[in-house]
Amino acid sequence: MPYLRLLVDPPAEAAWNMAVDEALLAIAEAPTLRLYAWWPHAVSLGWFQRLADFADLPPGTRIVRRLTGGGAIHHGDELTFALAVDAELLPHEVAASYPLLHDAVKDALASCGIACERLAAGPAPRARPGQRWCFADPGRDDLVTARGKLLGSAQRRVTQPRPRVLHHGSLVLQPPALTPFVASLADAGRPIDRERLRREVAAHVARALGLQVRQGLLSGAEGALAADLCGARYEQAAFTAQR
Amino acid sequence: MRPNDRKYLKSHEWCKIENGIATIGITDHAVAHLSDLVFLDLPNKGASVKVGESFGEIESVKAVSSLYAPVSGEVVDANRSLPDNLDWLSQEPFGKAWMIKVKVSSQSPDLLDAKTYETHCQAEG
Repeated sequence: MPYLRLLVDPPAEAAWNMAVDEALLAIAEAPTLRLYAWWPHAVSLGWFQRLADFADLPPGTRIVRRLTGGGAIHHGDELTFALAVDAELLPHEVAASYPLLHDAVKDALASCGIACERLAAGPAPRARPGQRWCFADPGRDDLVTARGKLLGSAQRRVTQPRPRVLHHGSLVLQPPALTPFVASLADAGRPIDRERLRREVAAHVARALGLQVRQGLLSGAEGALAADLCGARYEQAAFTAQR
Repeated sequence: MRPNDRKYLKSHEWCKIENGIATIGITDHAVAHLSDLVFLDLPNKGASVKVGESFGEIESVKAVSSLYAPVSGEVVDANRSLPDNLDWLSQEPFGKAWMIKVKVSSQSPDLLDAKTYETHCQAEG
């Protein structure tokens, strides 16, 4: 059975996180799932969002621009994942790829004793120009609890040199300071076994794609490209302020 | 059958070349699979585009997709009304939803005629 390379990274700075994900989209040879976290905590803006719309954030808030679409996320204590695969591994229709991956995360959470549901109805899962936070307004196919939205997702798709997809997911462990309205795994009222959560997410995402998990490491070429992208793009204020 | 007065890329862009100027857009197949378009970014007049490189981006269902140039050359016009009227892409992808016009310096060697593109779309599903 073909494999899903699993990268489990320690918490890292926002620009580095985004640079690694772009490098994986660009040159990863194997289907790759990267699990990571953010330190210091930071806000990521969707690709088309305007920086000026976030001028009211507290001074010193770290902000980075994501390659993927959708709304902004305050990345606090969360399990973030980046899936970089050839497009043929996912449903051809963009909208159909979300339920596939969201159900995988839902099943992973169920394995950890955490219940949530995927919204079968509601507005289309899209960025809304009038709503700047990704988690503010659950839409169709979002994972939710009674408290609200639990998982944020967005994608970047390229077709040259071959069709590829980068899928971002943010699974909230504790409500972040700037978006305290979100649902989180802490709502269940018991400690979170993070190692088990990572294992289950990887296993269920791999199963959804028909792959088997194999732990791996970032390659030298991927690391070098990420370092270039980090310095040339994601650390640059002009890149964050491009819109 | 899609219009046979133009050429297509497998990545679902079309171009119609008249008097050295290529009018470029995306096909109904692309629009159907993206669904629910929200944002579109096009290059400015005077910008250069290159075969196989992205000339713009479009967002639907929280997915940003790159748009690829079927020709190289200088952008001589961009459809500035389109980002505010994305429903045109569903209504008339081969007409008023054109995206950019480019003064052609070279063409992609991978351009398909309408019949071959049709076959590609059927294979892709």
